[in-house]
Amino acid sequence: MKLVNKFVDKNGTGHVTLRPEDDEDMWHLYNLIQQGDLVRAPAIRRVQNVSTTGSVESHRVRLNLTLQVSRVEFLSSSAPASSADQTPSNAGSSAVPLPSAALHISGPVTSENQHVRLGAFHTLDIESHRDVRIEKVEGWDSIALSRVEESCVPGRGAEVGAVVCGEGTAAFCLLSQHLTLITHRISVPIPRKASATGASQHEKAMTKFYATLYDAFVRHIPYSTPSLRAIVFASPGWVRDGVFDWMLGEASRRGDKILTKALREKALRVHISSPHVHSLVEVLKSPEIVSQLKETKFAREGVVLDKFFKMLGVDEMRAWYGPDHVFLAADRGAIGTLLISDDLFRASDPESRKKYVALVEGAQQKGAEVVIFSSMHESGQQLNQLTGIAAILTFPLDVEVVEAEEREAREAEEQKKQEEERDTESGAG
Amino acid sequence: MGEETTSGLDDRIIQDTLWECYFDVEKAIHWLYEEQERRVAARERRAIKEREKAQKAAQKKSAQSPGTSGYTTPVSRAMSPVNTPGRSLKKPGASSSKKSGASTPARGGAGLDQRSLDIFALNLGSNEPQPSFDEPLPKVALEREKLLQEARRVLEGDASTDKKAVSLVVIGHVDAGKSTLMGRLLYELGRVDEKTRIANERGSSKAGKSSFSWAWELDGTAEERERGITMDIALQSLATPHRQVTILDAPGHKDFVPNMISGASRADCALLVVDAATGEFEAGFDRGGQTREHLLLVRSLGVSQVVVAVNKLDQVNWDQSRYEEICGLLRSFLTQSGFHPSKTNFVPVAAMLGVNLVNRTGSDAQELSTWYKGATLVDLLDKLDPPVRDITSPLRLPISNVFKGQSSGTGVNGRICGGIVQVGEKLRVLPGDESAIVRSIEVEGASVPWAAAGANATLYLTAIDPIHLSIGSVLCPPSDIVPLATVFTARVIVFDIQLPITAGASVELFHHSRDVPATISKLITTLDRASGAVTKKKPRVLSKGTSAEVEITLRAGTLSGPSAVARPIPLEPFSSNKDMGRVLVRRGGETISAGIVLDILG
Repeated sequence: MKLVNKFVDKNGTGHVTLRPEDDEDMWHLYNLIQQGDLVRAPAIRRVQNVSTTGSVESHRVRLNLTLQVSRVEFLSSSAPASSADQTPSNAGSSAVPLPSAALHISGPVTSENQHVRLGAFHTLDIESHRDVRIEKVEGWDSIALSRVEESCVPGRGAEVGAVVCGEGTAAFCLLSQHLTLITHRISVPIPRKASATGASQHEKAMTKFYATLYDAFVRHIPYSTPSLRAIVFASPGWVRDGVFDWMLGEASRRGDKILTKALREKALRVHISSPHVHSLVEVLKSPEIVSQLKETKFAREGVVLDKFFKMLGVDEMRAWYGPDHVFLAADRGAIGTLLISDDLFRASDPESRKKYVALVEGAQQKGAEVVIFSSMHESGQQLNQLTGIAAILTFPLDVEVVEAEEREAREAEEQKKQEEERDTESGAG
Repeated sequence: MGEETTSGLDDRIIQDTLWECYFDVEKAIHWLYEEQERRVAARERRAIKEREKAQKAAQKKSAQSPGTSGYTTPVSRAMSPVNTPGRSLKKPGASSSKKSGASTPARGGAGLDQRSLDIFALNLGSNEPQPSFDEPLPKVALEREKLLQEARRVLEGDASTDKKAVSLVVIGHVDAGKSTLMGRLLYELGRVDEKTRIANERGSSKAGKSSFSWAWELDGTAEERERGITMDIALQSLATPHRQVTILDAPGHKDFVPNMISGASRADCALLVVDAATGEFEAGFDRGGQTREHLLLVRSLGVSQVVVAVNKLDQVNWDQSRYEEICGLLRSFLTQSGFHPSKTNFVPVAAMLGVNLVNRTGSDAQELSTWYKGATLVDLLDKLDPPVRDITSPLRLPISNVFKGQSSGTGVNGRICGGIVQVGEKLRVLPGDESAIVRSIEVEGASVPWAAAGANATLYLTAIDPIHLSIGSVLCPPSDIVPLATVFTARVIVFDIQLPITAGASVELFHHSRDVPATISKLITTLDRASGAVTKKKPRVLSKGTSAEVEITLRAGTLSGPSAVARPIPLEPFSSNKDMGRVLVRRGGETISAGIVLDILG
C-alpha cells in the first residue's frame, strides 16, 4: 500500500489517503475502515436523467464520492472447494496473481455533486491502484495509525506457498503477512488397499492424484515470483515425499526448468499430524519454517499462540482468556503478553473498540508485549475460537480469587454508596 | 401401539414385544403366548440387574423403585418418544434368553456394557436404546421379519455346527510384529499357500528386508513393502475350530492412527501385540507410545475383549520373568482403562518362529514349554465371544472403502453397525441426496443374500455414480435415514494430555473412517467420573482425566470468514445406535479424548 497523504492533528482527527495494491492491502483497509468513517474513493454510478418529455436517459459516470460508512464487507478470493477447474484468470503461471479480494463499502453520500444527491446510498467497490481517503470522525486511535504505518512498509511481501496434503486430498495455500488464502483444493478418491494382491487400484489412484496435484500446483502457486520465499509440502506420513518426488520428476520430464529450480531452492517438507488446513499452525511452528521466516508476522503469531497453550498446560494461573478475565488481569498489571485478534477492533460498536484500544495502549505502557493476530490466519482463527483475546501473565493469579475480590470490591462500593445516600438523607432530614 | 405410557404390566410386556417385533401385531401376539413364561424368568433376572445398576446410576435414576423400575418412563430427552431406561442393557440378556434360553455371551456383553459406562462415567439414564419407528411399511415389515428371523437363527447358531463370526483388530506399537504375527498365523492355519510364502520370502530378501517376509502377506502396497511398515488396514479372515475370525491388521505408526481407528471401529475384539525385547516394550508402553493409545482407542470404540500376545520372546531367551513383568504392567493398565480382567488373556508367542500360535511342537518351542502350559493363540481366539448384534435397528453401514467392482457397479466395504441388508434393497447414501441399489453382497469372500449387523460386508451397488460414494459416508434405508450433524453435544472423557482442552480448541473429530476438523465450542459441565454428577458448570479448561459434557462444532474447511459453512456428517446419538454414536477427538497427532454423542443440535 502506498501512503499518498496523511493529515492527522494531535487530537487524532484528520484524514489519510492510501493507495491499495494487493489483496493484503484490501484486508488492511477492511480493518481500518469503521462504521461512521467518511470514505472518499472513485466510483462508477449510473445516473438517470428524465428529460422534459419524459424519456429516461441513463448513463454511467465516473466520479469521486464521499460516503459515511454504514457497512464494510470483505470477500477473500478463496477458491470454492472441489471445483475441478477455475476460470483461467491468468494464463502465465508464473505471473503474480491479480488481486482477487474484494472490498465493498456502502453508506449514504455526504458530499453532494451534480450527479448524486446528498444522502443517496452508494456502494463503493474499492479497486487496487485507486486512492482511498479515510477520515475518522471519532479520531484516529493508536491501533489505526500503527496499522496505516504497518501497511505502508515496502517489501513486506514475504510470502509462503503451502500444499497441505493427505492421501487423496490437497489444499493449496498462500500465506502473506496478514492473509492465508486457500487458493485451491483437490480431492481424488483413493481406494484403500484391498488385500495383499489387489493393490493396483490404490496405486493407480495415487498416480492420478499426483498428476492432478501437479497441474493444480502449476496453476495456483506462483512459484517463480521472487517474493515467494518458500514452498512448503506438508503432510502426515510420507505423502509429501511422494508428492515432491513426483513433482520433481514430472517437472524435469516436461522440461520445466523454472519449476525444477523453484522446487530445489524453495521447497521444504514438513511433517504435520493431520491433512487438514488447520495443521498450517503446525507448519508454522516447525523449526524449518521458524528459522527461515523468523521475523514474519504469521510465524510470530504461531509461536506466541503456542506459548500461550503451553502456559495453559504448565501453569493455568498464568494463562487467561476471555475479555472479562483479561480486563481483570490488566487492572492488576499482570499482563506479560497480550494476544488479541483484529476481529475485536472491527467491532461495529465504537465503544467496545475504544475499550480494546485502551487495553492495548495500557498494556503497552506497562511494557507488555502485544501481538495483534490476523483473523485471516489459522492462528488468528484459533484465537477467535478462544474468544479472541488471551494473555500470558507475568505472575500467577487465580481467576476465582480475583473474581471474588472484584465481587467484594463491588459490594463494598455499593455499601458505601448506600451509606452515603443514607447520610445525605439523614443530613437532609 | 405407539402410546407413550401404559399402565398395566401386561401392556408393558405387550409393548415391549411389539418393539421386538417391529409392531408386527400377529407376530407379536404369537411371541407373547409362546414366551410368556420365559419372560417371567427373564424379568426376574432383569430386576436383579436393575438393582445393581440402580446403585451405580445417578440420583434421578436411583429414585425409581427397583423391580419394576425399568419400565417407568423417565424424564427423557426429546429424541425417543418411548424411552425405557435400562432397556438397552437388559435387552441383550432378555432377548437372548427369550430366544435360546440362556446364552452366556449375551449376558457377558450386557455386563461389559455396564463397565464401559463406568469408564465413561456415564449416567445410565442417558444410555437408552432404539429410536422409535413411527410407522413401519407393512410390506417391508413382513419381508423384513422373515429375514430377521433367519438372521437371528444364524447368528445364534448352534455352537457345535456353525462357526460364530467375530472381527478382530490387531493393534500395538509400530514394529511390534503385528503383520508378521498375522502373516505367520494365516500360514499356519493354511490360509496362505506355500507358493505365496516362497514368493514373499524371495521378494523380501531381494529387497534386503527378509525379516518382513511374513508381513508381506498383509502389507500389499509397494510403499508399505518398501518402508517395511503397515500404513493401512489389511482385511483377512481365518477360521479357528469354532470361530470365523475377520482380521483387521492395523498400522502401528502414529501417523496412521486415523487408519487404525477406521479399522478398530469395525472390530468386536482386539489382539494386542507387544514387543518383549528389552526397551522395545517400554518404548511402546511409555507416554506417546501406541500401545497405550491403541488400547484406549479400542476401548473407547466399544471393544471389551482383548488378547495380549507377548511377541518376540525368543529374543529374550524365553525369559519367564520378562513375560510376567510385561503381563503385570499391562494388566494394571488394562484394568485401569476399563477392560475386565476376565475378558483379557495373555499369551507368549514368537511370530517369526511360529511358536505358540497354533501349537507348541518343534524344537523352537521347547524352552517355552518348560514354563508355559496355557493356551495357544489360536485357542484364545477360538474362545472370543461375539457381542450381541443389534439386527432390529435400522441399517447403518459406514463406508470404509470404495473401489471399482469387477464388472459394472461400485464396491463399498464396511461394517454393518446395526440392522440388516439384503440384495435388491434400495439404500440411501448420506451425506447427499443419492440412493443406490444393492446388487450383491459379499461376506468373507462368499456371496450371500443378506448380511446382518456385525458383518464386515462388501456391497456392490448399482444405479449410482461412484462419485457420490466416499469413504466415511453412511448407507441407510431410505425410510430411516441417519441424521446429519454439524453441532452436537457429547459426553467425553479426557485422556492423559499435556495441554488442557479449552473452549474453542481446534481438534480433529474421528467417526468411523471419517475425520473432520472441529472445535470444542463449549465446555458445558465437568462430571464426576464415578457417579456422573455435575461437579462444575462452565469450566474454563478440561485437564487430563476429567469427564465432561461438551459441545462440538464442525469447522468449515476454509478460512474465509463466517460465511463458510461446515459440511455435516452422519452421526447418531449413542442412545439410538451405539456404534454410530462414538466419537474420538484428536489434536496434534495425539488422541485427547473419546466420547459418545448425546444430542444432535444442528
